Amino acid sequence: MTDGLLPLLVAVPVLAAVVPPLLSLRTTGTGWYVAAVACAVEAALAALVVRSVFLGGAVRHVVGGYERPYGIELVVDGLSAPVVALVAVVSLGVLAFAYTAGPRRNSFYSAYLLLVGGLMGVSVTGDLFNMFVFLEITGLATYALVAADRSGRSAVAALKYLILGTTGASLFLIGVGYAFVETGTLNMVDLSERLAGSYGDRAVLASFGFILVGLGLKTAVFPLHTWQPDAYSYAPDTVTTFISALVSTVAAYAIGRIVLTVFTPAFFEAVPAARAAVLAFAAVSILAGSALAAVQTDIKRMLAYSSVSQFGLVIAGFALVTPDAVLGAVVHLVGHGLMKGGLFAAAGVMAARHGARTVGDYARLGYRSPVVAGAVGILGVVLVGIPPSVGFLGKWYIAVGAVRAGAWPIAVVVFLSTLLTLSYVARLLERLYFAGPTEPTDPAVGAGTDAGTGTGADADAEVGARDPDPVADGGARADSRAPAAVSTGMVAVIVAAAVVVVALGFAAAPFEAFLERFLGGVFA
Amino acid sequence: MTEVGDPRPVVAVLVSVVGTVGILAAHRRPNLREAVTLSVAVAKFGVVASMVPGVLAGDVYVWSLGRFVLDVPFELRADALGILFAALASLLWIVTSLYSIGYVRGLEEHGQTRYFAAFAMSLSAAVGVAFASNLVVLFVFYEVLTVATYPLVAHDETMEARAAGRKYLLYTIGGGVAILAGTVLVYRLAGTVAFTPGGIETLAAADPALARAGFALLVAGFGVKAGLMPLHSWLPDAMVAPTPVSGLLHAVAVVKSGVFAVSRVVLDVYGPETVGSLGLGLPLAVVATVTLLAASVIALRKDHLKRRLAYSTVSQLSYIVLGLALLGPNAIRGGLLHIPAHAFMKLALFLCAGIIHVETHTDHISEMAGIGRRMPLTMAAFAVAAAGMAGIPLVAGFVSKFYLLIGAVEAGGASTVFAVALLISGVLNVAYFWPVVYQAFFQAADDHDAKPVVEAPFGGRRASTVARADGGSGDEETDDADDANNADDPDADPDVDPEEVGRPDFGGEAVDRDYGEPAPRVEGEYAVDRHPSDHTVPEKGDADGDHEVDAGADHDDHSDHDGYSHHGGPPPGGWERRGWLGDESTWFMLGPILAATTGAIVLGLVPSAAVFLRLVDTIVEAVGVVG
Repeated sequence: MTDGLLPLLVAVPVLAAVVPPLLSLRTTGTGWYVAAVACAVEAALAALVVRSVFLGGAVRHVVGGYERPYGIELVVDGLSAPVVALVAVVSLGVLAFAYTAGPRRNSFYSAYLLLVGGLMGVSVTGDLFNMFVFLEITGLATYALVAADRSGRSAVAALKYLILGTTGASLFLIGVGYAFVETGTLNMVDLSERLAGSYGDRAVLASFGFILVGLGLKTAVFPLHTWQPDAYSYAPDTVTTFISALVSTVAAYAIGRIVLTVFTPAFFEAVPAARAAVLAFAAVSILAGSALAAVQTDIKRMLAYSSVSQFGLVIAGFALVTPDAVLGAVVHLVGHGLMKGGLFAAAGVMAARHGARTVGDYARLGYRSPVVAGAVGILGVVLVGIPPSVGFLGKWYIAVGAVRAGAWPIAVVVFLSTLLTLSYVARLLERLYFAGPTEPTDPAVGAGTDAGTGTGADADAEVGARDPDPVADGGARADSRAPAAVSTGMVAVIVAAAVVVVALGFAAAPFEAFLERFLGGVFA
Repeated sequence: MTEVGDPRPVVAVLVSVVGTVGILAAHRRPNLREAVTLSVAVAKFGVVASMVPGVLAGDVYVWSLGRFVLDVPFELRADALGILFAALASLLWIVTSLYSIGYVRGLEEHGQTRYFAAFAMSLSAAVGVAFASNLVVLFVFYEVLTVATYPLVAHDETMEARAAGRKYLLYTIGGGVAILAGTVLVYRLAGTVAFTPGGIETLAAADPALARAGFALLVAGFGVKAGLMPLHSWLPDAMVAPTPVSGLLHAVAVVKSGVFAVSRVVLDVYGPETVGSLGLGLPLAVVATVTLLAASVIALRKDHLKRRLAYSTVSQLSYIVLGLALLGPNAIRGGLLHIPAHAFMKLALFLCAGIIHVETHTDHISEMAGIGRRMPLTMAAFAVAAAGMAGIPLVAGFVSKFYLLIGAVEAGGASTVFAVALLISGVLNVAYFWPVVYQAFFQAADDHDAKPVVEAPFGGRRASTVARADGGSGDEETDDADDANNADDPDADPDVDPEEVGRPDFGGEAVDRDYGEPAPRVEGEYAVDRHPSDHTVPEKGDADGDHEVDAGADHDDHSDHDGYSHHGGPPPGGWERRGWLGDESTWFMLGPILAATTGAIVLGLVPSAAVFLRLVDTIVEAVGVVG
C-alpha cells in the first residue's frame, strides 16, 4: 500500500511550489508557511516509506500502470531510503533555519520546494531518462536559489553553475542516449539485464563515461568542481546550507545508483579500466580537495573545497563495489550531508552575529558564541573522522572495503584523508578557541599592522577592507548573504546536527539493515 | 577465568562524562565546579576499585552495548590489564584534581572551566582505553583522548602553546591513522579484533608479511603516544601545558595509554609467541633501547626542568616497551609493573616542578640552586622520586627495574645487551637528577657550581660563563671581553662588533620567533623590566604575555633556547628559608605531592602488598608465557 506514496513524494513539493506565486497576488510573506506544510507532509511521507523499506524491503510503484520497459518506475530500496530520509529531514531543518534567516520572499520558497521535488525525484526514480529530468529540475531550482540574494556576485556564481551544470546534464543525457541506442530501454533494471554480456561494446563504454563525467560535474569531483566553491560561497547562507547538504549528495547517490544498479559490479569486472579510472578520479579528488581547502581563508570556500574531498571518498566507496565499501559510501553520504549542512548553517550564524567570514575573523569566537562554536567544534571533529561519530563510521567501512578488496592505494588515500581533513579543521578550531587575545586577526593584515594594535581596531579594518559584494540591488545590509537575524531556532538546528552526527556513529546496525537486502541483490 | 556480565566498566567510563557536563554547567560557581571534579574523581576510583578483588580472583567483568561496526561489538571489559591502568589513572586523578585546584587558583589561570572539563573527559577516555575489549573500541577511546587533551595542551593560548597543540594533534592523529590502518589489516587477516589473552589464534596462522605490517602499523601508531623515538617530539613541546596536565596526562594517562595499547597489541592481539615467531620482538626492543638511552642523554642537556622531566618520561616509557618486547615472563612483569611505578614517581616529580613554578616562577634548573631552603618538603619529595627513577632500592623504580634486568638476563644470548643498556640508563638517570637535588640542598643561589653540560656547547669549546671567578675557560681563543658578548653564540663572527649589528640571535639552536614582529633587541626591554614584580607577585595574565615576549628576547646563558621563557630565579639576596611543615605553599599542592611520593615508596617497599604486582602476576598468568 505504501507504493502509492512514492509519486506523492515527488508530487507534493512540486505541486506545492505553485502555491507561493499564486499567493503572491495577495500576500508576500506566506511562502514560508506553504513550504513548511509541504515539507512536513513530505517528511511524514518519507517516514512511512522508509519504515516500510526497513520492514519489508524495496517499495516499487509503476506510474500510470505502464509496466516496464515502457512505463516509468519509482523505487525506494535500501540504497535510496537513507537518501530519501536525508532529503526530507534536511529540507525541514533548513526551513526552520530560514524562518528568521530569510529570504522571506514567496518566489524563494517556490524554488525551494521545486528543489525538494527534484531531489526526491532523483532519489526515487528507477528510470534513467526520468533521472535526467529530475536532475535538470534540481539544477534549475539551484541556479535560482544561488542568486536569491540578487547580488552581482551570486548572479555570476549562478551563471557559472548554470553553464557547467547544464553541460553536465547534457553529457549525462548523451550517455543515456548511447545506452538507449544499445539496449532500447531506459528502465534501470531492464538496462542492467540487457547490458549484461555487451560490456565491452564501445557504445556501452561511451555511455558509462558520459554518464559518469556528467554526474561528476554535478557532484563537483575534482577537476570538475570549479562551479562549486563560487556557488557555495556567494549564495545566501540559507541556500548554501541547503544545497551543500543535498544537491551534490543526490548527484553522488546517482553515481552509486548507476554503478551498482545499471552497470552492476559485473561491468567493473569485465572492464577493470573503468573501475580504475573512477577510483583514480576519486583519489585525486580527495587529495586535491583537501589541499585546496587547506589554503583557503574564506570559511565557506574552505568548506566547499572540503566537500570536493569528501565526495571523493563517497565515490571511492561506490567504485570499490564491495559490500563494506558501498555501505561506507552511503553512511558517509548521509553523514557528510548533515555535517556540511550544520557547518554552513553555523557559518551563517557567525556571519550574522560577528560579521566573521574568514578563518582569521573566527579568532576567539568560541567565547563569544559558545554554543554555536561548540557545535562547530563537534561537527569539525566528526568531519575529520574521530570516533564515535558518523564520520568515523563511513571512513571505517570504506577503509575495510578497500583493504578487503586489496585496493591498497585507495586504502592509503582513505587513511590519509583523515590527516588532510585535520589540516584545515584544526586551523579553524585553534582559531575559535586559542587565538591570542591581542593578535592581529589575520596573517595578511598582521604583516602590515603593528602588533600592538588592539583586536577591535583590527576587526574594524578587516571588515572595511573586505567590503562585501557590490550589491546589485543596492541592498541596505552590509552582507547580503548573511541571515537577517539569529534566532534560537537557528542555533537549535545547528546543535541538532552536531548531536545527530555523533549519535549516528552508533547506527551502523540500521544502515546495515537497509543495505543488506539491496546489496544481497547486487552482489548475489 | 570467568566472564561476569557487569555494567561497572561502563559506569566507570560514563561517570566522568557526566562529570564533564556537570563541570560545564557549574562554570559560574568555581567552588561547586571543583566539588564536582573531586566527587566524580572519587566516584570513578570507587567504581574501579570495587572491581579489583573480583579481578584478582580471576573474574572478568564484561558489558556489551551491542554491535558497533561489522560484527565488532561495542564492549567494555575489565580484565587484570585493564584494571591495572584504570585503577592507576583514576587513583592519580584524585591526587591531581586536588593539586589542580591549588595550581590554577594559585596562578589565577584563565579558562578554568574548560581546563577541568577537558581533564574529566580525558580521564573518561583513558578509562575507556583501559576497558576496551577490542581494537576498534580501543581506537575510539584513544581518539577521544587525543581530542579531549588538545585543549589542555593549547591551554596557554600563546603562540608557543598553539604550535605545541598543532604538533600534538598532527602526531597523535597521524598515529591514529596508522592504528586504524593496522586495525583494519588485523581484522582482515584474523577476522576478529577482540583481545584474547595470549593472542588471536587465527592471526598466528595469517600471512606473515601482512601480519608484520599490521604489527608495525599498530606499534608505530601507539608508539606516538608512548614516546618511542623518532615519534616522541610532541611530548617535550607539550610541556607548555599547565603542570598538572603534564603530570597526569603526559606522564600517566596519555603516554600510558600508548604504552598500555602496545602491551595490548603484544599480549592480547598478537601474543608473545606470535610476536616471537614473526621476529618482531627484537626490532621493537632495539627501538626501545635506543630511545631510552638517547632520551636520557638529551635530558642531561635540558635546563628547563619540565623538559628534562619530559625526556625522562620518554626514556622511562621505553623501559616498559622494552620489557614487553623481550617477551619473557619476568621482563613482561617488570615492564607492566613499571607502568604504575613510573606513574607515581613521575607524577610526584611533575607536581614538584609545578609547585616551584607557582611559588617562585622558576622553571630552569640553573636558577634553582639553593631552592631547598625555600621549598624543603617539595625538594625532599623530588629527591625521593628521582632516586626511584634511577632505580635506587626502597622506591618503586627499583622493583620494576629489577624484574626487567632479570628478564633481560634470562632472555640470554645477545639480549644481555639490553641488561647493559638498562644499567647505563640507570647511571644516566642519576646524572641528570642528582645535580637538581644536590644544588637545591647543598648550594646557594649566589654560590653554586657551573653546569658545563647544560651551558657549554657540545664539544666543550668554552666553559661556563657563570663561574668565571676562576679565570674563565681554558680555551685560548677566548678573552674575557669577548666572552661577555659571545659566550652563548660560538658561531658569531669575532670581527664584527656585535653591538653595531644589533646582535641578532645566533644562539646555536633555532629560536621560535614570530617574524611578523620586530627582531628582538638586546638593548631593548627585557621581560623583567616590564614586569619588575614578577618574582613576588603572580600577576594575572603574565603567564600569557611574557611567554610571547620572552620567546624572542630571551638571551640568557642557557643553551636550550627552546622557546621557553623564564622570569624566575632566586630573589635578590638568595632564597629565604621556610619551614618543613608546609610553610612553602598550600597543602592543596603539597598534599598531592606527598601522596604520590608515598605511593612510590609503598610500591618500592612492599610491592606485593600494593595491589599492582598481584595484578601484574594475574596478567602474566593469563597470557600464559611459559616461565
